[in-house]
Amino acid sequence: MKARRHEGGRSATAGGETYVFRLFVAGNDSNSTQARENLARLCEEHLKGRHEIKTVDVLKDAETARKHHVLVTPTLILIKPHPKVTVLGNLGDTRQVLLALRLTGDGR
Amino acid sequence: MATPTRRAQHRDVAGLPKRRKEIPKVPTGIAGLDEVLRGGLPAGRMTLLNGGAGSGKSLMGLQCLLHGVGAGEPGILVLFEERAAAVRQNAWSLGWDLASLERDNRLYLMDARLNPEVVISGDFSIKGLLAILDQQVKAMRARRIVIDAVDTLLHLYDSPMRERHELYALHEWLLDRGLTTIMTVKTVPQEEAPSRYAFLDFMADCVIHVDQRVTAQVATRRLRVIKYRGSGYGRNEYPFIISENGINVIPITSNVLQHRPPGPKVSSGQARLDDILAGGYKRGTSILIVGTAGAGKTTLACVFAQAACLRGERVLYLNFEESPESMVSNMLSPGLALQPLIKTGRLVVQSYLPEAMGVEEHLFHALKALDVVQPQHVVVDAISACQRMGSEHAAFDYLMRVLNACKERGITCIYLNQATGLDIVAEISGIGFSIIDTVILLRHLPIDGAMKRQLVVMKSRGSKHSEQFHEFQITDRGIDLVKA
Repeated sequence: MKARRHEGGRSATAGGETYVFRLFVAGNDSNSTQARENLARLCEEHLKGRHEIKTVDVLKDAETARKHHVLVTPTLILIKPHPKVTVLGNLGDTRQVLLALRLTGDGR
Repeated sequence: MATPTRRAQHRDVAGLPKRRKEIPKVPTGIAGLDEVLRGGLPAGRMTLLNGGAGSGKSLMGLQCLLHGVGAGEPGILVLFEERAAAVRQNAWSLGWDLASLERDNRLYLMDARLNPEVVISGDFSIKGLLAILDQQVKAMRARRIVIDAVDTLLHLYDSPMRERHELYALHEWLLDRGLTTIMTVKTVPQEEAPSRYAFLDFMADCVIHVDQRVTAQVATRRLRVIKYRGSGYGRNEYPFIISENGINVIPITSNVLQHRPPGPKVSSGQARLDDILAGGYKRGTSILIVGTAGAGKTTLACVFAQAACLRGERVLYLNFEESPESMVSNMLSPGLALQPLIKTGRLVVQSYLPEAMGVEEHLFHALKALDVVQPQHVVVDAISACQRMGSEHAAFDYLMRVLNACKERGITCIYLNQATGLDIVAEISGIGFSIIDTVILLRHLPIDGAMKRQLVVMKSRGSKHSEQFHEFQITDRGIDLVKA
């Protein structure tokens, strides 16, 4: 269950590089709650001990949403490692999210 | 309860008090459109503006938004498709400085384009957008909002039910904030998606459809109000154009005739013709000069124009046959000096190629010229060329509306018409004989081995004119008329 293998010789994320996320939610609506849970589970399974999640509630902090051009919720932004990745939705499709975050590996 | 009978008079069948009240409206600032909408858009509600690519809906939205800004109603423009920078640049070409309004916090352009590289995983909503907008509306006390290309947002959803749900959420939010909203949406040809956004029509309080079509190789723009809850509206299709100052909806052909009564007589510029007409033309009436090519129609009109200008009046000459320069030079031969009159601004000659634009654009230029020049007399040379504006119907439309505009303003209107066949009289009736007050016929006749020109007044409403044929000679000192 570790993200070690990469296609196309992409830079290795192995060796414990920390994943920095920003998750934009809208209060506790169902999509937002699901996104929080899905992200937490995914980090637990694939990035244990090397992730950092900052959650932004757009209902309370519209300014940050504007800064990051977040129009829909939930929005997950992978800040680090580069390049930046944006995933919209409640992150229900784990396989797709892993693919987007370049975390596909032996976990499929 | 004391006077039940009297009260009953004020109640309708349902027992409700009868109090007819128009809903509150805000003007769009687009003159003709406000007329069609009987005052403007529904205040605090949503108007849907739909149309194909390039139909002018985004511009219409922006123009209305800016009118609001000018009237003290700050506005927000949400762009789902276009870049804010491009919108600013396009607005500049119409002389609208968006950036300065943005600096004053009276206008806000929100770039709401989504990064095409985003990955979608699972359901989502537009709450982020609403949160940002909410903050913005409060900060600038916005009163109007234009949501441009909302279909682009809807495309994110792959389920029609979700599309609908999000739109309702957006609509509710807009209503709660009391924002006067214009939402533009691209329509696709009916066959492709018959009812994809049909629900939008139901949701909106006012629906306006705009389109651009090509008839006889001339493009024309039209708009039509499909519905307007709580208000009456003009139910026809109305032509509009995009000119250097934005959208112009052509004022509606008035169904109420507000023509001014004919004024006193005014000289035709030729003493003998004045006698024939029992004193000349009547001011503010319509005169048709019809004849074969080369019969002297333009000369007759120019003799009149010159005399009017020399009296200190202004004449607008709309020429569809030749350029001002060529007209000036051709009129030197019968001894007419038009150039000095043009220089003083008393004679204004505007030449247009009929097929260069659609009938509404021609109409726009003509009506604008009436406003700018403020002429006492107008000449249209020649109405036969107007068919090249697209169709016979288009030409008729143009001529009727120019004529109406002249009659409403008390302007004398001289139409020249080139007849092609020998049976000239039959052709006259084709353009609406009854609305013309005076008809002068010019014709060529072979007499004594030579072609002679003849003139006869066929009709002159409300005056005793000569019914004699007169020989009509064009000399190097103008026109001579002798009894034939």
